[in-house]
Amino acid sequence: MPGLPGRYHATCNAQHPRWTDRPVVNFFFLPASVDLDECISRLYKKELLAESVIEAICAKTKELLMRESNVVHVRAPITVVGDIHGQFFDLIEIFKIGGFCPDTNYLFLGDYVDRGMFSVETISLLVCLKLRYPNRVHLIRGNHESRGVTQSYGFYTECSRKYGNANVWHYFTDMFDFLTLSVVINDQIFCVHGGLSPSIHSIDQIKIIDRFREIPHEGPMADLVWSDPDPERDEFSLSPRGAGYTFGAQVVKKFLAVNNMNHILRAHQLCQEGYQVLYDDRLSTVWSAPNYCYRCGNMASVLEVSDTGERFFNVFAAAPENDQHKDLQPGGDKQADSGALPDYFL
Amino acid sequence: MRPPAPPEPDVAQATKLHTQGSFTITSRKLPISKAGPISAMESRLHIPIPEMIFGDNLVSVVHRPSGWSVSFSAEPALDLVNKTGENMLQVAHAKDWTSSRENSSAVGIREVVRPFDWTYSTSYRGTEVRGRDGKGLEASGKQIPLELLKRRDPILFFDEVMLYESELDDNGISLVSVKLRVMEQRMLLLCRQFMRVDGVLVRVRDTRVYVDFVKDEVIREYTAKEDKFDNVKKNLMMTGLGPDAVTVAMRDSNQIANLLPVVEHQLESIDLVA
Repeated sequence: MPGLPGRYHATCNAQHPRWTDRPVVNFFFLPASVDLDECISRLYKKELLAESVIEAICAKTKELLMRESNVVHVRAPITVVGDIHGQFFDLIEIFKIGGFCPDTNYLFLGDYVDRGMFSVETISLLVCLKLRYPNRVHLIRGNHESRGVTQSYGFYTECSRKYGNANVWHYFTDMFDFLTLSVVINDQIFCVHGGLSPSIHSIDQIKIIDRFREIPHEGPMADLVWSDPDPERDEFSLSPRGAGYTFGAQVVKKFLAVNNMNHILRAHQLCQEGYQVLYDDRLSTVWSAPNYCYRCGNMASVLEVSDTGERFFNVFAAAPENDQHKDLQPGGDKQADSGALPDYFL
Repeated sequence: MRPPAPPEPDVAQATKLHTQGSFTITSRKLPISKAGPISAMESRLHIPIPEMIFGDNLVSVVHRPSGWSVSFSAEPALDLVNKTGENMLQVAHAKDWTSSRENSSAVGIREVVRPFDWTYSTSYRGTEVRGRDGKGLEASGKQIPLELLKRRDPILFFDEVMLYESELDDNGISLVSVKLRVMEQRMLLLCRQFMRVDGVLVRVRDTRVYVDFVKDEVIREYTAKEDKFDNVKKNLMMTGLGPDAVTVAMRDSNQIANLLPVVEHQLESIDLVA
């Protein structure tokens, strides 16, 4: 494990060399009534877990995540997944294409919730998989894993609707504060939700961020989950919105050189082809929500990193099960659903 | 290794045509644009393109005898977005953000690249092509006959087509979409921009095109409405909605549009009888 341990914790492997794929209940004492394998098989069928079960699982997940560094080191082979945004059927499609846990190692780059119709089922399943296979499933925080954003973009409303109150939203969003910020694969590939920050030159500077909090509006933690590449620029630029950065080719080159790595892998931006490769193959965007918001018609992909570090985009389209739920699309800003029924608008 | 390319969209298959009286109405719906067409559009327009850009989508209304038409597509709508950065709105937390940056290592970065109206607000009213006789829409006092449109005449052709949408990096939403319904004697088209910057401002800009197939007459009405975010929220609360319902309503232009004060209104019409 290179670098210094984080402020509150060391990396999990260093502290717990004996962690394997055994169920975490052996270590964390989930209530006896909670059987993780049963939870997972129910969630694969898109059944909701009881509120008390979510509470226990989120509490245990916090304990587990607390031990992770802000920069988690993993080994390939691993399959990297971009934004999912509550598109549960497409998440299942990813497992069908890329292999189920624990046969395939997974790194998820964040944005599990909001916008899609099944954020609760999606995050419930991912959290259970993380607890069950802590060294084979890795979850990074995206800008949507936040109290503020989920109140405006659907997760809060979905929790309240499906459980009759906002408790489950509180359990999940409290747990989000513990998600790690970045992962490094084979000491070569730096993985993050959004991108780079002008305050971060070396990954050691990520390790000292106090991440156990709501995502702030500014600073390195915000930049990691928010920033975007701008292929037409060399350096950092300010967004015209008045908050946030874009980063250019030289920034990427310098960061990789300083940290002795060869690639940056991030999500956060929709692309029609499901992925985008920039800066002379130094940076990739992976997008894993096909037909985003059930109306963009875009492809999606997962990025498979082989044990030797080769990268392959596995491209896929929306799962057929989505069609059955088209008519249930909530109104709100999703007004131009392709299955729109005639109405007497004025 | 190259991944499989996504299937080419079939333009002909994605296009629907409907003929009513002397008019031909077309709608075309395709997936969001690919990286290549997006960067081509970006170099034509000189602004960053919104992340959901339906560059191939189209709605058009053509009067066959005269050749007059009005059509709606994303690129001309985006071309009307302010590209100078004048009167730019800022997100609700921009002030905090700027002041806290003063003390950080990022303080050297001052340049805002390509300033433009990042809310993608547009005054787009459709792209008009004058008839062979040179006639076009002109300012007029003719109103769209709402009473006739409230009748439940059978809808012969209906569609809803997205032009573009941006989530404004989760600071709100800006979207432009077109709806149309064709009945036997008349049709209504509504091109609506809905723009909300959380904590700051809400805008609804509607262009309605009304076609009378009996009189071969077209009326175009443009209505721009806007209000401060907090006012809209307050007004929604006054209608008796609870906090959760207000949150949902703030995302729904249909629930908000009637609460916003009108800031601009324009009526035009054209008589296409030969």
